Amino acid sequence: MNALKNKARQLSFIKTGLLTAMTFTFALATANAQALTVYTAGPGSLAKKLAAGYEKHTGVKVDIFQATTGKVMARLDAEQANPRADVLISASWDTASSLEKRDWLLPYQSPNATHVPAAFKTPYYVAQGISALGIVWNTKSGTPEPKDWQDLAQPAFKDKVTTPDPSLSGASLDLLIGLQNVHGEQAWKLFGALKANGMIIAGPNAQALTPVLQGAKAAVFGAVDYVSYNSIQAGETIKVIFPASGTVIVPRPMMILKSSKAPSQAKAFVDYVLSAEGQKLVADAWLMPARDDVEANRPVFNSLKILPTEAADSTVRKRVLDKFATLFAAK
Amino acid sequence: MNKNTLLPLFTGSALLLLVAVPVTFVLLQAIFPHLDSGAFNAPFSAFVRLFQDRLFLGLLSGTLKLGLGVALGCALVGIPLGTLRGLFSLPCAALWDALFLIPFLFPPYLAALSWMLALQSHGYVQQLLLVNFNNVLFSLPGMVIVMTLNVFPVVYFAVSRSMAASGSRLADVARVHGAGPWRAFFSITLPLALPAIASSLLLAFTLAIEEYGVPAALGNRSGVAVLTTGIEQRLADWPIDMPGAAGLSVVLVAIACCAYCVQGIIITGKHVETTSGKPAAVVPRSLGYGRYPVILLFSLVALVTVGLPLASMLVTAFTRTLSGGLTWDNLTLTHFIALFDVQGEALGALTTSLSLALVTALIVGAVGLLAAWLVVAQRIRFAACIDVLSLLPAVLPGIVVGVGLILAWNRSFWPVTPYNTWGILLLAYCCLLLPYPVRYVSAAIKQIGENLEAAARVHGASAAQALRLITLPLVWPSLLAAMMMVFAVASRDLVTSLLLAPAGVQTVSVFVWRQFEQGSVGDGMAMASLAVLLTLSVMLFAVRLQNRQPR
Repeated sequence: MNALKNKARQLSFIKTGLLTAMTFTFALATANAQALTVYTAGPGSLAKKLAAGYEKHTGVKVDIFQATTGKVMARLDAEQANPRADVLISASWDTASSLEKRDWLLPYQSPNATHVPAAFKTPYYVAQGISALGIVWNTKSGTPEPKDWQDLAQPAFKDKVTTPDPSLSGASLDLLIGLQNVHGEQAWKLFGALKANGMIIAGPNAQALTPVLQGAKAAVFGAVDYVSYNSIQAGETIKVIFPASGTVIVPRPMMILKSSKAPSQAKAFVDYVLSAEGQKLVADAWLMPARDDVEANRPVFNSLKILPTEAADSTVRKRVLDKFATLFAAK
Repeated sequence: MNKNTLLPLFTGSALLLLVAVPVTFVLLQAIFPHLDSGAFNAPFSAFVRLFQDRLFLGLLSGTLKLGLGVALGCALVGIPLGTLRGLFSLPCAALWDALFLIPFLFPPYLAALSWMLALQSHGYVQQLLLVNFNNVLFSLPGMVIVMTLNVFPVVYFAVSRSMAASGSRLADVARVHGAGPWRAFFSITLPLALPAIASSLLLAFTLAIEEYGVPAALGNRSGVAVLTTGIEQRLADWPIDMPGAAGLSVVLVAIACCAYCVQGIIITGKHVETTSGKPAAVVPRSLGYGRYPVILLFSLVALVTVGLPLASMLVTAFTRTLSGGLTWDNLTLTHFIALFDVQGEALGALTTSLSLALVTALIVGAVGLLAAWLVVAQRIRFAACIDVLSLLPAVLPGIVVGVGLILAWNRSFWPVTPYNTWGILLLAYCCLLLPYPVRYVSAAIKQIGENLEAAARVHGASAAQALRLITLPLVWPSLLAAMMMVFAVASRDLVTSLLLAPAGVQTVSVFVWRQFEQGSVGDGMAMASLAVLLTLSVMLFAVRLQNRQPR
C-alpha cells in the first residue's frame, strides 16, 4: 500500500516536472513574439531613448541589440538561416548598399523622409542621423593645436596619435578612401608619415579616444565626433577639430529587413525615428539629424568640406584596407 | 529502466547537448566552408587558404609565447604561495584565500583596462610616483604579466588544496624516519601534489591562449597578435569569414590538446592515494618566526594583483573626467548615480548576470561531479568519450563556443530553440565552465582509496548510494571550490555574452563593454565596481558555508 502511494507520488512529481518544463520551453519560444527587434550600431543610449519613445506611442516593446557596426553585421550574417532582426541601423552607408545588393532589404519610403536630403536616402534605406570624422585633441596635452591632418605627422605629435581600426570602423575606412580619392599617392605618403611618427591603431572608435582623455596620447586621427561631443559635455578637456582640407561625413543608414515578421511595426518604427520627436532625440545624442528642418546641437555638414567617398565598391574598400594593414603591420 | 544505466545516460545526454552539439557544428563549418548553403563540397579548402595566409604564423607564435609565458609566471607565483598556504598554518588564511579570489572575479578585459589606466603615460602611477611603465605594459612580457596576475589563483588554489589534503601526514612519516624537511617536501609532498600542479598549470596555459580580452586591449599597442584576436577579427570583420574563424579555432584547439597530452604523460604511473579512510587529524605546521617574511610576501602579492587594479578601477569610477586627473575636486558619485538612472537597465544587467551564474554553477556542478565520478571511479563503457567531452570545453575559446551555438541553434529546422533567449547564454556558460568541476573533482577522487567505495558496495549500497554517501562528502570541498570558481567566471564572461546575448538582454559584462565602446569609461568602471563587490560578498558567504561543514 505504502509502496503504491509512493509510486503515485513519484508519478505526480514527474508529471509536474514535465509540465513545468513544457511551460518553460513554451515561454522561451514565445517570449519575443510581440516585440520588435532592432539591431543598431552605437550610441546605445540613443537607441534606448528611441525604443522607449516608440513604445510609448504604440505599446510595442522594442528589443535592442547594440554593438559596433562590424559586430552587428557579423551577427546578421550568422543569423541568415534564421533571421531575427526587423530593423537595422548601421554606422556605415556601405553596409546598407551591400545588403541591398544581396536583396535582403524591404523597400520603404517613410512619409517623414520628405525632409531628408536626397543624398541621405534611397528607396531601401534612409539616414537616421549623420556623424563626421575629425581630429580630437586633448587641450591639456601640451601640444600645439592641430589644424589639419598632416599636423599630426609633425614631431610635436611623435608617439602621441591614435586612430580607430579601419577594419572595425567603416567610417575610419571611409576617411582613408576619401583622402585617397582626393590626394592619391600623397594620401599614402601621409599615412606613412603618421606611421613613422608613431601613430597607433587602437581598436574601435572609443578605444582610440580613451588614451587621449587621460593624456597618454594627444590626439585621435579620424575620431567619430559624437562620442567626443558626449565626453566634452561630461567635462573632458578635449576639442573636436574639422580639418580645413576636408573630412568625411558618415550617414547612418536605417533599413527594414525583408525577413521581418512584423513589417508594419518596423515601418512605424522608422516613421518614429524620422518624426520631429525622434530626430530631436538624434540631435540630443550629438549627431546631425537626418532631417534638414530639425535643429542640430553642433556643426552640420553644410559647414564642412566633404571628401568624396562615392563609388568605392567592396573591392576598392578591401584593397585600401589591405594596403593600410600592410603599412601598419610593417616594423 | 535499469538504475545503473540511468546516471551514465543522463550524464551522456547532458554532455552531448552542452558540448558535442556546438563542437560538431564548428567542425562541420571548418571542414565544409559552404555549410550555410547546405552544401558539403570543397572540404578542407578553408585550411589550405589559412595555411597560405602569411599572418597565420605570427598568430600561432604569439599564442604559444603568451600561453607558455603565463604558465611559467603562474608556476613562479602560484606554487610557492600555494605550498605555504597548504602546509603551514598561515595567519589570516581565509583572508588570503578571499583576496586571491578577487583577480578571478575581475574580467580580464577590465583588468587589462585598469592596468592601462594605471600604467600608461600620464596614468595614475605616473601621476603619483612619476614613474612611467608605458613601454613595459605594452609589450609581450607586459601582456604575460597582466594575464599571470589574473590567472595565478587557479594554480594557487589547486596547489594549496592538494597540499592541505595530502600534505603533511606522509611527510611527517618521512621526517620520523629521518628525512630532513626539504627532502620530505621534495620526495613526498611535492610528488603527491604533482597532478594538481600539472593540471592547474595546464589550465593556466589554456586560459591564457584562449583569452580574448587582454590581447584585444593591449595586443594592438604591443604589436602582439594571437589566435583569439584573429578569430574575433574574422568574425567582427564584415563580411564575416566563418570557415576561417572555425579553422583557426581548430588550430587553437589542437594546441590545447597537445598541452593536455603532455600533462597526461607527466602524471601517468604516479599513485596518489592519500585518503585511506583511517582517521587522521591534519595539523598544519606552525611557521614560527618565518611568518613575518611570509606575511610580507603575501601582502606584496595581494597589493600588486588585487590592490593596484582594484584601486585603478575604483579611482576611475569615482573620477568625473579622465582628463581632470587625480585631484580632489575631480571626485564624484555621478557615475554611480547614472547606473540607477538609465531606466533600470544597469540593475537588470546585474540580476541577469548573477542568476545566470548561479544556475550555471548548479548545473555544471551536478554534471561535472557525475562525469568525473563515472570516468575515474566507475570504469563504465564510453568512459573515454565522457572524459573527452567533459574536458573538451577547456580547450575551446569562448568565442568559438559562441559561434558553435549560433551555428547549431540558429536554424529553422529545430521545433524549439534556445537561441535568442537567455537560455542560449546558459548553454554557453555551462559548456565553457564544465571542465572546472570535472578537473577539481577528478583530482579529488583520484586521491580517495578505491577500497572506500568498494566497501560500501560490498555492504549492499548501490553505485548511486556510494556516490552520495561516500564520494560526495569526500570531494565536497573540491566541488564547492569548483562551483565557486564557476560562479565567478560565469558572472564575468564577456565574449560569449557579447556574441549570444539576445536583443533586449544584457549581462554585466555586456553593459560594461558597451559603456567602454561608447567612451563612458567612468560609468563602465562604476558598474564593474558594483558587480565585483556583489560577486565578492556572495563568494565570501560561500566560503563561510564551506567552513561551517563538519569535517
